[in-house]
Amino acid sequence: MELQAIYDTLTAAKVAGLLGCDEPRPSNKKEKDPGRSGLPFLMVDPAEIVPLLTACRDMPLLQFDLLIDLSAADPAADGEDLWVLIQLLSLKHRHRLAIKACLPKSALIMSSATAVYRAANWHERECSEMFGITFEGHPDPRKILLPDDWDGYPLRKDYEFPTEYHGISCE
Amino acid sequence: MKGHEPSYSMEERRTLPSGEEEFFFDVKTSDLEVNMGPQHPATHGVMRVLIRCDGELVTGAQAHLGYLHRCAEKIGENVEWLQYLPYTDRYDYLAAMNNNLGYSMAVEALMPGFEVPRRAVMLRTICVELNRIASHLVAYGTYGLDIGAITPFLYAFREREWIQALFEKICGARLTYSYIRIGGVFNDAPPGWLTEVGHFCDVFEEKWKEYRDLLALNHIFIKRTANVGVIPKDMAIDFGLTGPMLRGSGVDFDLRRDIPYMAYGEAHEAGAFDVPVGEGEKGELGDCWDRFSVRVQEMMESIKLVRWCLEMIEDGPIIGDVPKVLKVPPGEAYVGIENPRGELGHYVHSDGGKIAVRCRVRGPSFTNLAVIEELMVGTLLADSVAIIGSTDIVVGETDR
Repeated sequence: MELQAIYDTLTAAKVAGLLGCDEPRPSNKKEKDPGRSGLPFLMVDPAEIVPLLTACRDMPLLQFDLLIDLSAADPAADGEDLWVLIQLLSLKHRHRLAIKACLPKSALIMSSATAVYRAANWHERECSEMFGITFEGHPDPRKILLPDDWDGYPLRKDYEFPTEYHGISCE
Repeated sequence: MKGHEPSYSMEERRTLPSGEEEFFFDVKTSDLEVNMGPQHPATHGVMRVLIRCDGELVTGAQAHLGYLHRCAEKIGENVEWLQYLPYTDRYDYLAAMNNNLGYSMAVEALMPGFEVPRRAVMLRTICVELNRIASHLVAYGTYGLDIGAITPFLYAFREREWIQALFEKICGARLTYSYIRIGGVFNDAPPGWLTEVGHFCDVFEEKWKEYRDLLALNHIFIKRTANVGVIPKDMAIDFGLTGPMLRGSGVDFDLRRDIPYMAYGEAHEAGAFDVPVGEGEKGELGDCWDRFSVRVQEMMESIKLVRWCLEMIEDGPIIGDVPKVLKVPPGEAYVGIENPRGELGHYVHSDGGKIAVRCRVRGPSFTNLAVIEELMVGTLLADSVAIIGSTDIVVGETDR
């Protein structure tokens, strides 16, 4: 199913938190728009992520039963938002869905998707140590790849590389 | 001894007809925490599993990752598009061709209208499938090794050695290839290479039957793996498992067939490959044996695919028109491909420059490993090795 059809299905079922579709577009020199290639995204409100994912998983027309990936991106150091990116896959209908939620850097908090997909557990742990996002209701919010005493969020654009670690110089 | 109280009550003692005394003691054990790793042969790398056990029974397991974390994603944001390619070799180092392909395809998805030449597609498919065989051979060999069978490992490495020699001839490297580039492949097959690949397929087909009989159908091996570490279908889906882990639980899904990319759709229509799915042949559906068996059968499907490619390959260019210093048009793409371990996904974000804004890697080992924390609880300590081995993880990829 194409993104627009998925969006219409979700809208028809009155699922909360839908903000629209972000489709790729060709460049437009007149309006100085560089365009965008690649993948269409479903834009959602991070506050409504749990009911939205539940709907995506349970609606017979969509049936996204696999959470493939949950990660984040920091598009610009001076930007106001982080993006939370979710990839879903349906085994039955053989289609994919890419979800993007813009989370303001001033309040990096959203509900955990672990209640809907247990696959979200480790992805959210990684996401929170790398970007500093707090997932409310996460069963095990420890760091996963980084040492427990690591400072800062390495994948943020404003991250400053440490100069030493436990007395070992990194320069 | 005066005043010594017996440490047993009368109910725990009985006199046998022979006059002998028998005691019944309830042996009370307490939980013990054991570190399996970071240096342990069965964790296939530097990974630590903290196991809590009560006697021989595992009551809890917690995987501790990060010992091999090399910040692949951060490096992706700091080097040019093409410069990142060698780093992709280093997460799943047993299937480096597949990683090259996943990353190249993700970058190509950002270049609208770009098409990879036909010969490059075929060379890519041959290399990727040969690499899948090599990777499954390691999975096959080391799994036997984990649970005590040393011989199959030595046989498996003999054939893997041949595949590595073939790769050395085409790209000069044996493990970290960087052969599949953005836009195609970097070197054409040397004279006689395709014939040798055909020869390899013929020899491997014969050897494969021996391998199956030697380990997969071995009675002791079946006893160690059947009905052990059962992942039911629902659990596999809930945990987001992909690849042989998912198919071992009876879910018939393979990205190569169901969301086809490159020439796989065409190959499947031509009947060039099937998708083996676990059937619970030796025990309950979704046990360690099923997962192992899926991998063994997949090797043969890859041979069929390589043969199909050898038939279909034609002369032509091997790389599209890609500049040395690549500027990728602005956009975001996610491409997931079927790696030997499951779905390898790359999310790349370009702002139109020479360097990626974000390069996310979704490694199949990472998600597939998450299931052991749940799977190992309630099993015997000796089975924990069989369970970890059956997930076939590469720690380079779980930690990236």
